[in-house]
Amino acid sequence: MTAIDRPDPDRARPSTAEPGAAADLTTCLRLVARGDADAFDTVYDHVAATVFGIVRRVVRDPAQSEEVTQDVLLEVWRNAAKFDPGRGSATAWVMMLAHRRAVDRVRSVQKETERERRTAVADIPFDEVAEAVESSLERERVRRCLGSLTELQRESVTLAYYGGYTYSQVASLLGVPSGTIKTRMRDALIRLRDCLGVAS
Amino acid sequence: MRHTRDVHTLAGPYAMDAISPPDRARFDRHLARCEDCAREIASLREATARLAAAAAVSPPPALKARVMAAAAATRQRPPEPEPEPALRTWPLRTWPLRTRPVRTRPVRTRPVRTRQGRPTPSRRLAMAAGAVAAAAAVAAAVVFGVSNGGMQDQLSQAQASSQQVAAVLTARDATMMTGVVRGGGTVTIVMSHSMRELVFTAAALHALPASRGYELWLIGPAGDRAVIMLPPARHGMTGPVVASGLRPGDHLALTAEPASGAAHPAGRPTTPMMLDVVL
Repeated sequence: MTAIDRPDPDRARPSTAEPGAAADLTTCLRLVARGDADAFDTVYDHVAATVFGIVRRVVRDPAQSEEVTQDVLLEVWRNAAKFDPGRGSATAWVMMLAHRRAVDRVRSVQKETERERRTAVADIPFDEVAEAVESSLERERVRRCLGSLTELQRESVTLAYYGGYTYSQVASLLGVPSGTIKTRMRDALIRLRDCLGVAS
Repeated sequence: MRHTRDVHTLAGPYAMDAISPPDRARFDRHLARCEDCAREIASLREATARLAAAAAVSPPPALKARVMAAAAATRQRPPEPEPEPALRTWPLRTWPLRTRPVRTRPVRTRPVRTRQGRPTPSRRLAMAAGAVAAAAAVAAAVVFGVSNGGMQDQLSQAQASSQQVAAVLTARDATMMTGVVRGGGTVTIVMSHSMRELVFTAAALHALPASRGYELWLIGPAGDRAVIMLPPARHGMTGPVVASGLRPGDHLALTAEPASGAAHPAGRPTTPMMLDVVL
């Protein structure tokens, strides 16, 4: 998971980092909704690395991650008309679809692999993002903002978002009441949002 | 409001999909009623999108060809006729607040201020229906002819009607009703039975795309009457607008319609009505 995996860093860079690109993605989605395959090609280039990255982080298995990534992008194609720019950025919409699908995938197979995953969780470094950080300015920013959270906040976010666990699973993994975890998650995201300077 | 606060603490888990299906459904219902919460979730989703971005890894190049081929073979879903999700979930139900039925008694006919032009057939029908009813209804039908004028007439009438608003608000029998709008927002109505008028205001209504707007209706035994196409919200506030010519048995309804207005509430009775006051 290094910069070598990403031959074209500009492509992989999230569009939220560039207002121009964000506007492009919105425009492209509008065209995709009308069946424009060229626009879909552009959308793919904009979001594929981020979708694949988050899916792989949650799902882990490379072959399954590819399947889920394909499902997510097809969902973007099929449901582009549903995207409403009034309710968030295009990137946030696509990432919501991606994360939700990834989480659905791991939860649907969770029962049979519950034991393995419980073992595996001990191996998940909480500083996972740092592991992925190479040259990207965006990664550096996210890492820095995650670093500004309290330990419990950071662990909650990492396990929930990158690990795909529910808040009650996170609570039992960390040995903290689930009510506490719920509020820590919200506090953490608010702090991240403010630290990252996300326009709401 | 302990329950609401409890639900609201799910915002963090919800934005990260760290939530069980029942909790998600609960929070979805909460979101449909809470515009602030929807905004908060949207902003938290922007933050989680950045977490995703930090994990970006290029997929194998072969994936692109597969996705493009699959897309070419996949039919897209058309835009939904009612794109605003909150509206679709509004159940058709009676507003819990009721007032006593209006006593039938003669009503002074008030001078007609605007509207010439020939009534349309449907209006003529409605007026005819009024004519066979009691004298009170006849008088009301005249007022109705005024209030059901062209949309533009209504708009300027509503905007120029601060005296009319003040008259209702200060009426001796003014009754105030407030309620939460399913789908987002609150409405406040002040009604005067003796004047057969009401003042309608709304706050924080769910925003509609520019092509659509909220239309206020009176629906009763005599048929549907468009009251007004509500002007766009300013600083979250809509109105005040005045509905005149209330008749016994009338219901007040608010629907989302094309911005140009509709002659009848679209798709009734399945049209979501967020407000249904029995007068």
